[in-house]
Amino acid sequence: MEATPGGFLLVLILVAPVTGLLIGFAQGGRAAERIALWAAPLGVTMAMVLLAGVLHAQAPIVAFVGGWAPPLGLALRADGLAAAMLMTTAVIIAAITLFARADYTTLPGAPEARAPLAFWCFLLALWAALNAAFLGGDLFNLFVALEMLTFGALALACLDGRATQFKAELRYLLFALIGSVFYLLGTALLYGAYGTLDILLLSRTARSDAPTIVAASLMTVGLLGKMALFPLHLWLPAAHAGAPPAASALLSGLVVKASYVLLLRLWFWVMPAALLLAVAPILALLGAAAILFGSLVALRQARLKLLVAYSTVAQIGYLFLMFPLVAGSAAEVAERAWTGGALQAISHAFAKAAMFLAAGVIARGMGHDRIAGLHGAARVAPLSVLAFGLAGLSLMGIPPSGGFTAKWLLLQSALYAGQWWWALVIVAGGLLTGGYVFRVLSAAMRAPSPDFMPAAPVDARQERVALGLAIISVVLGLLPLAAFGLVLIGR
Amino acid sequence: MTLLAHLLLLATILAPLGLLATAVTAQGRLRLPALLVYAPLPGLAAALIAGPAPPLVIYADWLRLSLDLDAPGALLLGVAALLWSAAGAYASAYLPGATRFAGWWLLTLAGSLGVFIAGDLVTFYFAFALVSLAAYGLVVQDATRRARRAGAIYLALAVLGEVFLLFAFALLAVSIPGQSLAIADAVAALPNSLVRNETILLLLLGFGLKAGLVPLHVWLPLAHPAAPMPASAVLSGAIIKAGIIGLIRFLPFEGGIAGWGLALGVLGFLTAFYGVALGITQRNPKTILAYSSVSQMGVVMAALGFGLAAGDAATPLDAARYASHHVLAKGALFLGVGVALATGARRAAWIMAPVLLLVLSFGGLPLTGGALAKEATKAQLGAGVLGWLSALSAAGTTMLMLHFADRLRAGLAETPEASAPPGLILPFAVMTAGALLLPWWLYPAAVKFWPALWPVLLGALGFLALRNWGGRLPRWPEGDVLIFAERAAARVAPPLAERASRIEATLRAWPSAGLALLVLALLLGLAMAVAA
Amino acid sequence: MIYGLVASALVALGLYGLVTQPALLRKVLAFNLLGGGVFLLFGVVAARGGDPVPQALVITGIVVAFAATALALVLVLRLFQITGAATIAEDETRR
Repeated sequence: MEATPGGFLLVLILVAPVTGLLIGFAQGGRAAERIALWAAPLGVTMAMVLLAGVLHAQAPIVAFVGGWAPPLGLALRADGLAAAMLMTTAVIIAAITLFARADYTTLPGAPEARAPLAFWCFLLALWAALNAAFLGGDLFNLFVALEMLTFGALALACLDGRATQFKAELRYLLFALIGSVFYLLGTALLYGAYGTLDILLLSRTARSDAPTIVAASLMTVGLLGKMALFPLHLWLPAAHAGAPPAASALLSGLVVKASYVLLLRLWFWVMPAALLLAVAPILALLGAAAILFGSLVALRQARLKLLVAYSTVAQIGYLFLMFPLVAGSAAEVAERAWTGGALQAISHAFAKAAMFLAAGVIARGMGHDRIAGLHGAARVAPLSVLAFGLAGLSLMGIPPSGGFTAKWLLLQSALYAGQWWWALVIVAGGLLTGGYVFRVLSAAMRAPSPDFMPAAPVDARQERVALGLAIISVVLGLLPLAAFGLVLIGR
Repeated sequence: MTLLAHLLLLATILAPLGLLATAVTAQGRLRLPALLVYAPLPGLAAALIAGPAPPLVIYADWLRLSLDLDAPGALLLGVAALLWSAAGAYASAYLPGATRFAGWWLLTLAGSLGVFIAGDLVTFYFAFALVSLAAYGLVVQDATRRARRAGAIYLALAVLGEVFLLFAFALLAVSIPGQSLAIADAVAALPNSLVRNETILLLLLGFGLKAGLVPLHVWLPLAHPAAPMPASAVLSGAIIKAGIIGLIRFLPFEGGIAGWGLALGVLGFLTAFYGVALGITQRNPKTILAYSSVSQMGVVMAALGFGLAAGDAATPLDAARYASHHVLAKGALFLGVGVALATGARRAAWIMAPVLLLVLSFGGLPLTGGALAKEATKAQLGAGVLGWLSALSAAGTTMLMLHFADRLRAGLAETPEASAPPGLILPFAVMTAGALLLPWWLYPAAVKFWPALWPVLLGALGFLALRNWGGRLPRWPEGDVLIFAERAAARVAPPLAERASRIEATLRAWPSAGLALLVLALLLGLAMAVAA
Repeated sequence: MIYGLVASALVALGLYGLVTQPALLRKVLAFNLLGGGVFLLFGVVAARGGDPVPQALVITGIVVAFAATALALVLVLRLFQITGAATIAEDETRR
């Protein structure tokens, strides 16, 4: 492996948010906010340049930190999947920056407060961690990125300082730490066996021997715990539902995906194909259980935010259906399944971020988030209800949304591969998703009682941000399929 | 010429959506209802002018959008666009200022016309989903408890239909050799597909649900009476034709499939008679019309079925002709219900005379458009037992529709001088004229007098019997078999979800999650050890 | 060999404690036990090959674990100050 031209961009993408964070932390909340506002368009631009670069080269862009090549040095590697995820991250972070200004701005003349400082700094930190998790080319490096991610996410989620939040997020932290330890144990074993943790070097030497098997199962389970794949989802509903809207959107939309990309790297790069074939059906089976259970439980939720959180539990399941479809299939089928899985991760990120932001606006406008009491929500926050509905279309897989294209690709590759049972799960999940989205929308569209009063005014800018993300999740499906060839680069 | 045709095809879908986009401004929103009449006009023009142009294909490499207009599609597109336009004018008078309704209307319109011109699987699925799901907004417009129940059931079944179709389309796409997603390629590949039977079953389920094939018809008699008049008109006239065009487009009539054709034909006739049998027990004119639609679509599906069994390549056009009469006449009658309810006894003749003509047209009275429609399916349903069955179904339809006229007369406005506003009368008049006359222009034929007349007379006799002794018939609730399904669902679904919640709560406890972690690690390790 | 066994024992003990102990402070302590076991394992790997990299990894790991412990303790402390109790028993999700 050689370093490629353009590698400085990878370093820049990592360093920029960190620099912003440091300056912001030193200068106070007002400065941090301004930095985040400047960083957002800059981040989108950098991600776009990187994406164009990868597309142009039709090959990954690689950089060695400090010019030291692995195994001694660390590699940063932007393949198609990483570029797509970086772009997704940049856009969603930019949207959340705009959304959060209404809540965490420091007005001119007002004294500096702790919450804005913490929010903007941790937002930048989270961004840096996400970028590191998508770009990292070394399994230990990725571990550090995931830890940073957990800490940043946790801090954002606890920002309101309510006891229920502390409880939920502590549960998240402790379970995520168990996952980390499992993962770290695995890396120790891998290092012991191969003397390197660089993904590409490992992919050339990995064997199907006992230490590798133990390491693989430990690392996989650790990552599954961090992703809250059924039945390891104990922490997710409360943690995602209890956080402030901006944090919920980040947690559900992006943070979970970092572990997912790492899992893909582990299985489709590092581990030998024979092991992957053995594990893939188990992972997909868990995914299928997640889809069905998560959706059924979401149907029963009385609260909007918990419903959205359980929807995440279910949608994560779809990400795992691609494992048996990619592993051991003909190249064309595998490409389809891979594209479907990656697109599901991306369109879910947009749709779920939109959904949590919309749910947050609705909950604030109504003063509560009991679904049965949402009558009149369509009048209080019309754009948010629309955003919720559009995002719901994408989650259900109704065309022309990105979710449709993703599920269509998975469905097709399931049929091509002769594994029609996954197709059944996909459509059943869509049906159940329709059920819980409809529950919310039909309640929100009903006329309120005559003496109904909104609890708080709704910020139109926040509504527009949620709607914008929802529209992106739908418009993704209108892109020609060839555009998603991007995620195949460097596979 | 091709360019003009392509532009018109694009405008067919984009004009309603573009109009909807003007609703982002408050001013645009207010203007929306008055513009509904114009939105379908590009579709109408496309049907008249575009003719058999080469299909429009965008993104040829990974086929993503293609529009195609063949003869059955053009026929149905034209009459549907006419109905949408007339009903749009009617709606702006019937529900002035209903901007949200207008929004749903335009979305549904785009999908409804889109299914007639879609040339590939994805575009068709998109248009079908659009018309199915957006029509929900039309059904629940009145916001009554009844409308909400009808809407919820409609939506549930519509989504179920989507699921069947998604599955079917995925199977079709897999069967096509190469990357193409064109419907024509899918149909060509279907007879030799390894999963042929599964695909056809799913197609029949998905499209049958939309077109009201018994026992998937339950949403029709619920949704039609609950929706406002213009919405019922397009629902019954245009929207359920999405199911018919689906069957026309996706079944391989060229080669034919005997078994499936026979099954669809028998189910079609069953539906035709079932609709009549249940319809005569109803008292609400709109519900009667809904059951009549079920029955009429049954006849269309019978024609499609027996045409498929015989491998008759003319079937799509013949069935489209029969269906096109239904678009016009049923649309006219639903609009007429609104006119009649606003008309007093003194002017009753002015409304009852055209209604009666339409009613008899449904039975196939000679000289009406209905007689030509009946004639169009002679090739499929003309001979032997099928001929008798189709004549009997015409008699049943006559009886049912006379029952409708009778119930409508009982529902005239109470003040004798009352008269409907011109905004309602004009669209009704246009549609009535269209239903009676347009078939003579679109598919003229020589109709033998006596074979067309006797079923109508028999139906009239049946109606007299019904008037005298009909009181003894049992009353069926709207949506008949649905009531049982609802009860069964109420018994099964909550406990299932409850159990899932309980299991889920157990799994969420720390010790079980920790155990799951270890078990999973062991399981994965074991699986790998076995494989290695 | 003996270090390997001790490491495994530490991991097992820590995991057991982390999962079963309801008190938060004990969970945090159990996590540290667990972390200690893993770092010891890195030590075992390092001792075997005479390779300095695992030690660098362990140091990074210890820093991360320290940060995690600090964060958890702050949260526990705040929770205790607000509610007067320090457990995360499942209760608030079912309101």
